[in-house]
Amino acid sequence: MSTAELDTINPADALRMLRTMRVARQMSQRIAKLYPTDVMETPVHLCIGQEAVSAGLCCHLTDADQMLLGHRTHAPALAKGLPLRKLMAELYGRTTGCSHARGGSMHVFDPEHGLPGSSAIVGGSIAVGVGAALSSKLSGSDFISVSYFGDAATNAGVFHESMNFAALKQLPVLFLCENNGLSNVMPVAEHAAYEIAGVASQFMPVFRADGTDALSVYREAGKAVRQVRETRAPVFLECTTKRWMKHQGHERDDLEINPIDPVTDCPIARLERFMIGASLITPREILALAKEIEAEIDDAIEFAERSPYPQPEFVEA
Amino acid sequence: MPWSRFDSNYRAPAGERDLAFVDAIREATDQAMCLDPRVFAMGLDADDKFGVFGSMRDMTHPERILGTPISENANTGVALGAALTGMRPILINLRNDFLLVAMDQIVNYVAKWQSMFDGQCAVPLVMRSVIGRGWGCGAQHSQSLQGLFAQIPGLKVVMPATPYDAKGLLLSAIKDDSPVMMFEHRWLYKNTGPVPEEMYTIPLGQGQRLHEGSSLTVVATSLAAIHTLTACEQRGLDVDLIDPRTIKPLDMDLILDSVSKTGRLLVVDYDFPFGGVAAEITSRVCEQAFDRLREPPQRIGFPEANMPASGPLERAYYPTPDTIGERIERWIGVEVCA
Repeated sequence: MSTAELDTINPADALRMLRTMRVARQMSQRIAKLYPTDVMETPVHLCIGQEAVSAGLCCHLTDADQMLLGHRTHAPALAKGLPLRKLMAELYGRTTGCSHARGGSMHVFDPEHGLPGSSAIVGGSIAVGVGAALSSKLSGSDFISVSYFGDAATNAGVFHESMNFAALKQLPVLFLCENNGLSNVMPVAEHAAYEIAGVASQFMPVFRADGTDALSVYREAGKAVRQVRETRAPVFLECTTKRWMKHQGHERDDLEINPIDPVTDCPIARLERFMIGASLITPREILALAKEIEAEIDDAIEFAERSPYPQPEFVEA
Repeated sequence: MPWSRFDSNYRAPAGERDLAFVDAIREATDQAMCLDPRVFAMGLDADDKFGVFGSMRDMTHPERILGTPISENANTGVALGAALTGMRPILINLRNDFLLVAMDQIVNYVAKWQSMFDGQCAVPLVMRSVIGRGWGCGAQHSQSLQGLFAQIPGLKVVMPATPYDAKGLLLSAIKDDSPVMMFEHRWLYKNTGPVPEEMYTIPLGQGQRLHEGSSLTVVATSLAAIHTLTACEQRGLDVDLIDPRTIKPLDMDLILDSVSKTGRLLVVDYDFPFGGVAAEITSRVCEQAFDRLREPPQRIGFPEANMPASGPLERAYYPTPDTIGERIERWIGVEVCA
């Protein structure tokens, strides 16, 4: 990265991205540490390594914009505005969680921040995002929607059906593919006989970003979101990234096909190097930021721990 | 047209204005769309000039009627997304067999969305679909799948039998803040009956008594209710005929009230028998009013087999007013009629 990037990024947005990524990263690391103790009785699909995608995208979205997520929810939901406390309490199965202990890790909800829900059956929420865009069109509203999914979701028929629908009806939806190259343990080359962006390009304009580089995502997402807003028509953005953890759970991924370089593949390290070089932040300030976020995570865990579990009669509510 | 042969004899008592079942659906949809700009309709051929067997023709707001590609799964997800963000969609499938293409969205998404988020959001989504046998339509175009969907928590299921109920139940469904599936038997479309011009709703979960009697309770749904009514009127059967109108929620109070009076139960539901609506009603009556039953309950439905195509086989497969009437006469006799 060069200081030329400075021309394309607002310093406040750089700081916002760094903070967003660090919250997701540090929270995921804490979850990974706590997970073996079973305080969270829910599967967790951690986003370590993938934080730049949602952090870069959400700089360009408002609370009114609707974002539909899949099963890997934590980083994108936090980036969109879901409060840390509400997410943590949901993971702890407490009534103060964002879904009142009915959703768990894969079903997060925060309409105030444009999160109308998320789904664990891979692919289906792409269509739901298209429906939010249809709502915007039919009601004459300004908001746009984002269907946020991974590379494996493109295997599902509903992905193709949804792109067709959005293109036919000219709906203001961004198809955001966070391509971590893996469907559970299967590499993309083995699960897709097509090139994802190539398929998408038959339906709509396509942008591509390096999903391990927050500045690349910021730049391309900025263009893509602007185009959706201006044309009120669908746009596709593919961000290639890397999944550091196993598909589910607290352990590091150890697949030979998925080698991770903790320096060059780390979106946080990359942005911090850039920001220090551009005098946007100092190492000392980064340390302070990390500490501040640790305190927020402490607070969220404490909040979750002192929140009540649902009563058994809640089961038929 | 083959459909013209399939007109049931049923006519409701004369009212101020008679309307066909299909026109009652059309009127309810049109009035709802005029009343509320959030209401819109979508589905394959929803915007066609024939408009879903006539139920969508000549609408006041064609700009809110979307023809869709035959992508039932995505269409259902799109309708859900619109419902979650302020609209009130009516999603139409020309035959309920196509709902099966959208099972992921219907069962995993639509039915679960409210409970997964503890009811923090409304899902005002109506899923209309047409059921009923056709002209040798065979196994994939003749099913009645209400039992399959009624099993899923989070879905309400309505089955109007009369034009009055078609309008009132559809308006209730559109007004409801949770997903409602409406199954419309194609053979009812031409039936006429009194239908008020003004908008009105019928509470979901409120059945009605279509025929008064004391020897046998018959609970019958949709076309089966009309067939049973025809049998009662033609043969003078002493039958207390209950049309639940809503499969889910189910008006058990009305059913139990009737069984308490007659001591006998027959359920007529045109669906596969295994684990279906008739099985559920029979089971609930046994659980809740076993001591009131004088004889074991009985059921009439489809055979445990897929639908045939050839005419003679179709005629052997489907119950009719005559087969229902004969079964009832064999059970309670003809001489006890009121």
